[in-house]
Amino acid sequence: MRRLDRPLARLAHGVERVTATALGPYQSAVVRIGFAATWLLFLLREFPHRHRLYGPDGPWSWRLAQELIADNGSFTALMWSDSRGWFEIVYALAMLSSVLLLLGWRTRTMSVLFMIGVLSLQNRSVFVGDGGDNVIHLMAMYLVLTRCGQVWSLDARRAARAREHGAARAREHGAARAREHGVEGRPTDRVGPVLWWFCGLGLSVVTFMGVLGWGWSLIFWGFWLVHGVWWALGQYAPYGEPRALFRVVGNLIHNAALLVIMAEACLIYATAGWYKVQGSRWQDGTAVHYPLKLDYFSPWPALGDLLVSSAVLLTLVTYGTVIVQVAFPFTLFNRRVKNVLLAFMITEHAVIAVLLGLPFFSLAMIAADAVFLPTSFLQRVGRAVVRCRAALLSVVRSRGRRYEGARAGEAGGDEQGEQGEQEAVAADGETSGGSGGGPDGGEAEDHARVGFTP
Amino acid sequence: MDAEALDEGGSEGTPAPPAPDGPLPPAPSPDAEGPSAPDAGMGGLSLPYQIAAVVALAAVLVVACVHVTMVFLHVAPANAVTKQHGEAVGDWIYPEFEQNWKLFAPNPLQQNVAVQARAEIRTSDGGTRETGWYNLSARDGAAIDGNLVPSHTQQNELRRAWDFYTSSHDRGDKPNGLRGDLSERYLRRVVVLRLADELAGEPAGGPAGGTIERLRIRSATTNVQPPPWSDEKVSKKPVYRELPWWNVPTDDLEVQAR
Repeated sequence: MRRLDRPLARLAHGVERVTATALGPYQSAVVRIGFAATWLLFLLREFPHRHRLYGPDGPWSWRLAQELIADNGSFTALMWSDSRGWFEIVYALAMLSSVLLLLGWRTRTMSVLFMIGVLSLQNRSVFVGDGGDNVIHLMAMYLVLTRCGQVWSLDARRAARAREHGAARAREHGAARAREHGVEGRPTDRVGPVLWWFCGLGLSVVTFMGVLGWGWSLIFWGFWLVHGVWWALGQYAPYGEPRALFRVVGNLIHNAALLVIMAEACLIYATAGWYKVQGSRWQDGTAVHYPLKLDYFSPWPALGDLLVSSAVLLTLVTYGTVIVQVAFPFTLFNRRVKNVLLAFMITEHAVIAVLLGLPFFSLAMIAADAVFLPTSFLQRVGRAVVRCRAALLSVVRSRGRRYEGARAGEAGGDEQGEQGEQEAVAADGETSGGSGGGPDGGEAEDHARVGFTP
Repeated sequence: MDAEALDEGGSEGTPAPPAPDGPLPPAPSPDAEGPSAPDAGMGGLSLPYQIAAVVALAAVLVVACVHVTMVFLHVAPANAVTKQHGEAVGDWIYPEFEQNWKLFAPNPLQQNVAVQARAEIRTSDGGTRETGWYNLSARDGAAIDGNLVPSHTQQNELRRAWDFYTSSHDRGDKPNGLRGDLSERYLRRVVVLRLADELAGEPAGGPAGGTIERLRIRSATTNVQPPPWSDEKVSKKPVYRELPWWNVPTDDLEVQAR
């Protein structure tokens, strides 16, 4: 019996860990930002060609798509109507949800809308996609199940503010009263419920129209209900056990989804690598030469020639590619080796982006790779971004101040000048928060405090 | 959504850095025990809730494992397991989890496949006229040259439409079921669009006032030459695959580029 104690204790510890915390907040955030940005950039790039790629009158006409989808049953909102207006709405919503997911605004809702946008466009025209679209397709679905807005998001900033608000109240009124006011003391959130009702309304319309299959109906209504219950519990029974259970299950799903994302990335590399091992061109060391000579994948033929000019270089790159891809999943057991390989792969994808003319595929793969980046590195990057922004803002601020000072001087009143300055600083606080989107959103709080005491 | 972030600083075994987004006051506020406290996991629940959590844990674990297994079997080569349970794998994977990661594998494509087309045009004066072959893929290639962000319309549209056609037809151009039929109609619309572009660019005496009545498509496959230092020899002559003339229904003429 004694012998079992230690493994059991470990297991208990592990279970406690995966139920108590949503692991990898920085990794899930960077994956969220990466895929949202990739899809957004893609949609912007194809904006002039959107009708040709996904529109009802494009080469893959609405009718053709309908026949294929009747056969394979994939999900796309674009089949709900063949009107141009609806198409424009869906495309615009896909772009909007990408921006908002990138910023981490109402992350849970936006991740679902993001997935709807991705699936709708890609499933509408499956024959214009490539590997990059495929990765985005999968990750858009997995992201829905992760709590990817814990850091570097507007959501995280709002949560931090609410916390600060609560703490301030506690200092003001004393602990007892703060507890009394606990929940009521928080700034009430009106946007969330409105968004929820709005989603419910949209979902009702779609359900009523009968265009949604029962499987997807179940999924979307399920998300909607769970979201509502989670909000209600936070509002009316924040210390109750049902809410604690909800959080435990949420953490479990997040952790499982994160694991699936990692497994998916490993499967991508393993498949790509192990199939290559069997190819004669990968064995004789010339494989990399061929894609570089394909008209469809050679935007910079001269660069390709350079790589191919040396037999040694070409063999190194060819063998290196296979080795890295085959080896990667196994290196996860060793932090240091994993990080070295990760750097290799990210570099290789950056090169592929240019050399093979596959920027969106490469961006998507880099975003997937990012799930393996070490926390310490991600935090360093986050701090660097914040510092950059602080530096940028301080330049803007000092200019603003000079302007304010000049105005105050004209008015001739010292008091007024001081006041003006205070206002300027306060306004800066606002703008620094307001522009806090993107990767630095979560740490905006930090900066906002530093910014006030120069 | 909040305090977990602080916990997670050292998740990978690194020393916990200072709180990244922590404007929390140094003294623990009474609120810290509330919803934003470092959360307890399953251990903090009472027995009935613990049982529910265990059930959830089991369910999540099972679904995740099944999913990863299914994806693995989907991307793995055909094997003994997929021979027996291929249908179950397909049911799980299709349509949304379909994937193919044989990127340039087992061998990269070693041929340039150019899709070319010609048209028969009914001119406004009632006559008909046949155009020469237009190399549509060459247009794509030229558009991609020096392009940092090639569009899917340049890189994938025609290339994959042709792939779709060849993979859903036998060598005698007989379609295999629904996909074969769809691929013909799709390829025809893609080519009509391209031909319209080509013809619009022709000097006077072109198709002004005319309409495309029939079109013909062929592919020209040319081997990529091995590296300059290699002693391998491959043929430089293109191999053609020519499809029969296709009538163009009026519907297709309305295909829109924008």
